[in-house]
Order: sequence, then structure tokens, then C-alpha cells
Amino acid sequence: MASSTRASAMPAEIAFAEAAPPAPVAAFVSAFRENRGAVIGLLVLALVVLAAMFADIIAPHAPDEQFRAFVRARPVFSGGSWAFPLGTDGDGRDMLSRLIFGARISLFIGVSVMAFAFLIGVALGLLAAMAGPLVDVAITRLMDVIMATPGLVLAVVIVAILGPSLVNTIVAVTLVGLPRYVRVARASALGELNKDYVTAARVTGVGPLRLALTALLPNCLAPLIVQAALGVSDAILEAAGLGFLGLGAQPPTPEWGVMLADSREFIRSDPWIVTLPGLAILITVVAINLTGDGLRDALDPRMRRG
Amino acid sequence: MLTYLLRRVALTIPTFLALMFLTFYAIRLVPGDAIEVRMGERGVSPARLAALRHDLGLDLPIWRQFVDYVGHILHGDFGVSLATQQKVLTEFLTLFPATLELSFFAMLFAVLIGVPAGAVAAVRRGGFFDQILMTVSLFGYSMPIFWWGLVLIMFFSVTLGLTPVSGRIDLITYSFDTPTGFMLFDAALSDQPGAIKDALRHLLLPAIVLGTVPLGVIARMTRSAMLEVLSEDYVRTARAKGLSPMRVIGVHALRNALLPVVTVIGLSVSGLMAGAVLTETIFSWPGVGAWLIQSIFRRDYPALQGGVLLVSVVVIGINLAVDLAYGFIDPRIRHAR
Repeated sequence: MASSTRASAMPAEIAFAEAAPPAPVAAFVSAFRENRGAVIGLLVLALVVLAAMFADIIAPHAPDEQFRAFVRARPVFSGGSWAFPLGTDGDGRDMLSRLIFGARISLFIGVSVMAFAFLIGVALGLLAAMAGPLVDVAITRLMDVIMATPGLVLAVVIVAILGPSLVNTIVAVTLVGLPRYVRVARASALGELNKDYVTAARVTGVGPLRLALTALLPNCLAPLIVQAALGVSDAILEAAGLGFLGLGAQPPTPEWGVMLADSREFIRSDPWIVTLPGLAILITVVAINLTGDGLRDALDPRMRRG
Repeated sequence: MLTYLLRRVALTIPTFLALMFLTFYAIRLVPGDAIEVRMGERGVSPARLAALRHDLGLDLPIWRQFVDYVGHILHGDFGVSLATQQKVLTEFLTLFPATLELSFFAMLFAVLIGVPAGAVAAVRRGGFFDQILMTVSLFGYSMPIFWWGLVLIMFFSVTLGLTPVSGRIDLITYSFDTPTGFMLFDAALSDQPGAIKDALRHLLLPAIVLGTVPLGVIARMTRSAMLEVLSEDYVRTARAKGLSPMRVIGVHALRNALLPVVTVIGLSVSGLMAGAVLTETIFSWPGVGAWLIQSIFRRDYPALQGGVLLVSVVVIGINLAVDLAYGFIDPRIRHAR
């Protein structure tokens, strides 16, 4: 996107001055910083993360505290009071506080799903690439099945079996997100396995585990990191979808999808109760996707078109 | 071509077998078996329980049960819904046209806007329109569609009063047979004045909601495919020949850029079915997605089991069709490996 147009605007002298290739990290940082969208995304994401971390300090009220005298109070921007900056919901709970604590839940789901799916997926992918055709076929078929079932449908079935809860949401969404890591890890590992340095390592007696961790993994890390970033936003969307359907986190948890489902009855009378939780999801997901796009462009030299 | 076709079809068989095994096995993980679910809270005598288990084949070894299960499915028997006592396949086939109609118009919306917009953005790369479109597309594929549906209802239905909030047609004003299951066709066949218009008004918001994510993806994909094609030699040749820019972009470039876009459309099918679950729930659209969710809340596990299997069959089938079509269009894929 913006990175390409800006790169060409760089004065020619600078390009000549840096005759030696810049260090990988410096190259990555400068490539990322050229991408205006990615920087904005990262800043917004940092704000959301900070809000989630310091929710107890920032939030004006407790997320579950019900102010019976102020049920469905209007937000400040439509004539409400600063006591409840974004108004209150149908039970008189402060919207702003619930949204801030909701950030904690959504990010927790997104990051834990990503971490589990990444670890399991990469392990399976490397195993498929290295452990012979039988294991490869078994793992690949299993991933095909997961991908043949629409993500949310699969998650819904898993939750139906395990019962709806926050933990089971994480289990379900992790399973749904698994194939992307397996495929990327397997494909890049297969590509590396034919290279001379791997053969050399094998000849000198490097064991399979060490080979996987020291030779293969570092070389397929870049595409995996990109997948991981986009995996966080997908996980947040799917978990919120489950919450919305009543199959994810359960009320009164201030999860954004649950808050939306609770607010449906106020769609005619108090639209802001419906608007705010979804806006929070959208902003967070857009910020993560922007960051992820920036990561991809910066990590993959082929995407850095001059 | 035939070998390619056969190989591609053969590849789906193990996937399908594994799928059957998983749906078969998943249902056994549910606490309480089919009998207990059917009998509910009332309880049942041990002798009667054993008899019922025997009738349903639940006393057989597990591999026999699986073989029987596969045998039933191959004969088109996907079980019987506990809630309606109807065959799951019959129920699925009654509801599927509604989902298909919704998905088709969602995709139509996404392609009709996404492809031209992506192409124009690529031609005017870095310009104002390009930046606006890339931002819109980013928001499109980041959209929590269950919220987007509510926002559109608030604006178009509540504030403006333009569109209805739920269902496929106004059932109070219109009543006609639905031989095809596709509301637009049935409305056209019915000769009731205004029926088509009413069906379209019901279809509008759900189709936009379901089409929003594909729209974002397709616009982006068309743009990047177009950028790649525009730098090819044959486009330069076409320009050098003195063809009009319209012809170069519209015919020479866009036609080649559309190949990856076709793949993306095929890959979107799975996402469309997932999106249909949410869209149908919001708009009370009587399709397969809403039915699956209702089955969960009714603890109707046979319906859920059969329904998920059927949805996956549809997804595998459409992906296969897209792959075959792609191999047909592009010989390089057919002859690879």
C-alpha cells in the first residue's frame, strides 16, 4: 500500500550511502515504519492493550456494578453525564467500564488461541514434514477436514459438545485456527528440507528434533508470524461471534459479543448500547489487521516493491 | 483432463471418510446418549433402556456402529431429527435453498462491486480512490458481521423504515406455494403483485451483511492481481499496438487478473456458510445456518450431526468444482505433477 509509493520517493543519495545491506532488525523496523497504516494500527492496538492491562485503574466503575437509578443512561455525546461517559446498559452497568474490561477478555482469547494454535500447529506441521509419508497424510487429511467445515460451524459444534464457556471457546477457536499454522509450517519445512545445509547438518549427525528447532523453525518463522497476527484478529471475531450466539462466554461476563447479544432488545430505543460493543470489536480487529499487514510487508522482502 | 478430474475427485474421498468418522465420534462425546436425550428427565426402566439401545444398534461394537453409520449415509440416510421427527436430509434440503439464495446474492453483491472497484484502484494506484477503497476493504474484511447486521437494521429498518427486519417475505400479505424453495422464483411464479419486490426488500440487508467480508477480500484480491498483470509484457504490447485504454484494461488485463479472483471466490464458500449462521440468526432467515444453531439449543444432536456433515459436503463439493473449473481454464494447473 503506502509503503511502495513512499519508498520510491526516497532520495537516491541515501540509497547509495547505505551500500552495505542494513541489519535484518533495522531493515524490518524501517520497512514497518514506512507503512503509515501499520504504524497507526500498532498505536491503536497499543492503546487497547494498555486499557486491557490497566482496566482496574482506568475503568471508572466495576464492570458488574448495577446503578439501578441510572438504567440506560445516555452517553455524554448525546446529553448524558460524565459519571457514565458512554452511558449505561439495560441493567444500569457502566458501558465504558464494561468495554474496557471486555478488551481484557477479547485480547486474552485472541492471544491464548494464537499461542496454543501456533505451538500445536507448528509442531504438527514440522512433524508432517519430517516423520514420513504416513504421518504426513494423516495430519494433512485431518487439517482438510477441519478446513472443509466452516470455521464458526465447527466451533459451534465443539462448544455444543463441551458446553458453552470462556475456556471452551478458546479450545474451539484454537482447533478452528490450527490448519493455517500446520500448512505454513509444513510447506516451508518441506522447502527447507531439500536444501544443502539441512543435508550437511544431517550428515554431521544432527538429530531430528534439533534439526527441526535450529534449522527448520527459524527459516519458516516469518510467514508464521504473519499468520499469527492475522490469527489473533480471526480468533477475536470468532469468539465474539460465539458469544453473540450465546455459545461463548456467558453473561454477565463483559465480553463484547455477549454485550451485543444482551443489547439487541434496545435496538429501537437506545441504539448506542448496540453500537458501542461492535465498534470496539471492529476497531480492535482493524488495528490488528493493519499491524499484521505491516508485518507481512516488512518481513517479506518480495512484498517490498520499490 | 480426465486423469486430472479423477485424481482430484479421488482426493476428496479420504477427507470425506475422516469427516464422517469425526461427526460420528463427536456425537459420542456429548454427555448422555441418544436414548437419554430422547427420554428427557422422566427416566426409563433398565429393561426398556436395553431394548431401545438394541433397536438403535447402540449395543453393537463401535466399529460396527461406524460401518452402519457410513452405510446409512451412503444410502442418503442422515438420521432423524429429534425435534421434528423428520429426516435430517429432507429438512436440510427444504432449508438449503434459502441459504443458497442468500449466499448467491451476497456473492453477487461482493463481485459486482469488488471486481470493478479493485480494478479501478489498481489502475489509479496510490490515488485518492485507491486509498479510500483499501480503507473500506480493510474495514470490510475486519467486520464483525453480527454487529454490522444490527447497525444496518438500525439505519435502514428502524430509522428510515425502508426494509423489513426479518424473514424472506411478508407472510401476512403474501401466501403462495414454494415449489423451488428460492423465494424470488416462487414469488415470480405466484402472479401476486408486489411479491417479487417484497422478497427483494427482505433479501437486501441480509445479502449486504453476508457479502461485506467477501467484498473486502475480493476488492483487495482484484487490485493486487490487476497490479501484477498490468506490468506484464502482453499488456505493454497491447498498449503499444494502440488499443484504447478501456480495451487494454477491460479485456487484456482484467481477464487474466480474474483467475486468482475465481479461486478466492471458491475459497470464500466456507466463510459464507459460517457467515450465514450469524446472518440467518440476526435476520430470522429460515436457512441451514439458523437451523444448526436452533438444533444446538434444542439438543437435537442427530440434526446437528447430519447438518454439519451436509454443510461440509457442500463446501467440499463447491471447492472441488472450483478446482476443476480452474484446471479447465488454466492448463498449467492440470499438468502440474
